[in-house]
Amino acid sequence: MATRWEYRDHGPIREILRCAYLTPMLWFMGRAVAAAAAVDTDVRREFDTLPTPFTFALGVWPAGPAMVVAKGADGRVRYRGGRTAGVDIDLLMQIKHLETAFQMFTFRESTATAFARNRLLVQGDVANAVPVARVLDMTEVYLLPRVIARLAVKRIPRWKPWRTWIGRLRIYWRTLWGY
Amino acid sequence: MTHPAFYEFGSPVRVVSGLTALERIPGLLEDLGAARPLVITDKGVRAAGLVDVLTGALGNGLEPGGIADEVPPDSSVAAVREVAHRFREARCDGILALGGGSVLDTAKGVNILVSEGGDDLMAYSGAGALKRRLKPLIAIPTTAGTGSETTLVAVIKDAARQVKMTFVSHYLIPDAAVLDPRMTLTLPPHITAATAMDALTHAMEAYTCLAKNPQSDAAALAAVALIAEHLPRVMAAPGDAHARLALANAATLAGMAFSNSMCGMVHNLGHAVGAVCGVPHGTCMAIFLPYGLEYNLHKNGPLTAELLLPLAGPEVFARTPAYHRPFRVIEAVRQLNRHLRERTAGRHACSLQEVRDARGQAQIPRERLPEIVAAAMRDGTAIYNPEDLDREDVLMVLTQAWEGLPLDRTRVRQG
Repeated sequence: MATRWEYRDHGPIREILRCAYLTPMLWFMGRAVAAAAAVDTDVRREFDTLPTPFTFALGVWPAGPAMVVAKGADGRVRYRGGRTAGVDIDLLMQIKHLETAFQMFTFRESTATAFARNRLLVQGDVANAVPVARVLDMTEVYLLPRVIARLAVKRIPRWKPWRTWIGRLRIYWRTLWGY
Repeated sequence: MTHPAFYEFGSPVRVVSGLTALERIPGLLEDLGAARPLVITDKGVRAAGLVDVLTGALGNGLEPGGIADEVPPDSSVAAVREVAHRFREARCDGILALGGGSVLDTAKGVNILVSEGGDDLMAYSGAGALKRRLKPLIAIPTTAGTGSETTLVAVIKDAARQVKMTFVSHYLIPDAAVLDPRMTLTLPPHITAATAMDALTHAMEAYTCLAKNPQSDAAALAAVALIAEHLPRVMAAPGDAHARLALANAATLAGMAFSNSMCGMVHNLGHAVGAVCGVPHGTCMAIFLPYGLEYNLHKNGPLTAELLLPLAGPEVFARTPAYHRPFRVIEAVRQLNRHLRERTAGRHACSLQEVRDARGQAQIPRERLPEIVAAAMRDGTAIYNPEDLDREDVLMVLTQAWEGLPLDRTRVRQG
């Protein structure tokens, strides 16, 4: 069970590179969550358990890259951009360090492990973080090849292959070209 | 030993434990800069004479600003507002919380309002809403179970909206916890049993769930050992003050552990059953603990095995083959539940169908299991459980726990 890690100096170039990776990654993830809500019934069901309207954000503390996703009064889920300032957010999840965010979004640390290791600052009703975490997990299962998704989530859901593949195509299409 | 790459641990509570611990309260208040505390308690605690024991121990040098005993069995927003009003009227400057989990949670809620001002408790719900230190709060638990005297959480019911609101902040952790066996000596056997099983669950889940760390592990193992040794003694001799004190210490240690490493599916299912059917928390913990250990066995076997040493002692640990130790732990918990059922003349339930209300009616009808599943899906503890939990998994575990049958491990989906 021992965890291996190593210390690295975090210079400014490294930080810029991390941000350059995370900014489009969070943009993509935010749009993919909205797409998954439109495509998958289980993702939709998790959003149904959240209040209406509801906005959540996942980003890097204090003002790093972020994604803002909102469920509108009509129930539709939309990506609201990468800026949290000035937005009325119901659930704000901030990753405490850029390096940690990089680990999470290179799928070396799962969302659950990040929560367990106290990597995130959570502001808002904690109960709402549970469906949001499930939505993020399911979206990752759609986006990632199985071998990588295994690192990102606790358990790969036993979906029929057609559900995974058709869902994956539809989510990628909507994420890249709009929805 | 698990050593995560990153973790946080904080437990700033000053613990005062002993046969005359109550007498230390005036000194603790002086250190905290308070001279006129409000005693917050409930009518049951007052009727048991514990308020008199407390005020007697405070002596003539310290006069409480008042005694608020209107805390209901489930702490509520209305009760918090009412007590906060009394605090302000009496110009108090600190809080003595004397009671079980509901009293301690109410006291934390009152402390938010009297420190931050205003009457809108909901403005501070959720995590991270509090930004500064609150007024001095000393917790004096009258049950050995919730561990609320060392935790950063308060759960308060908003009756108007029919929801339980969670408040999470390091500023909610009491300044001191006073553990005195005079406060738990009169606890009835079935409540002693249920609350101790609650503490055992805190310790075992803290040790086996995802957020474990070396600090919480130390507290959790000590708590398991204390409960295993002293719970049977207390059940056999309820007036044993030393054993009562040991259980109170175990509950505090377990509270320290789970406040920092959180809990998993046992609490997830227990919160859901409590919310839907109003079953006491400790009862749910006792029933679900073996199921939680069984469900996570494929991920947690080695960690569960390590619990055998504090739970059953070195001789049993040494003569049990390594591969069999986790199963022996689960069996030991079930044996303990059966022993407690015998000792309480059947009042300590071992399955969901055995749970009865005060009138002897079954409290968890089988047809309500789907409602419980829905409530469990929104409980935050699921995140910290080693294995994923979806609706089917929760229903499968609930059905087995309702029947009182061990989990069919071939039905546990492994990821």
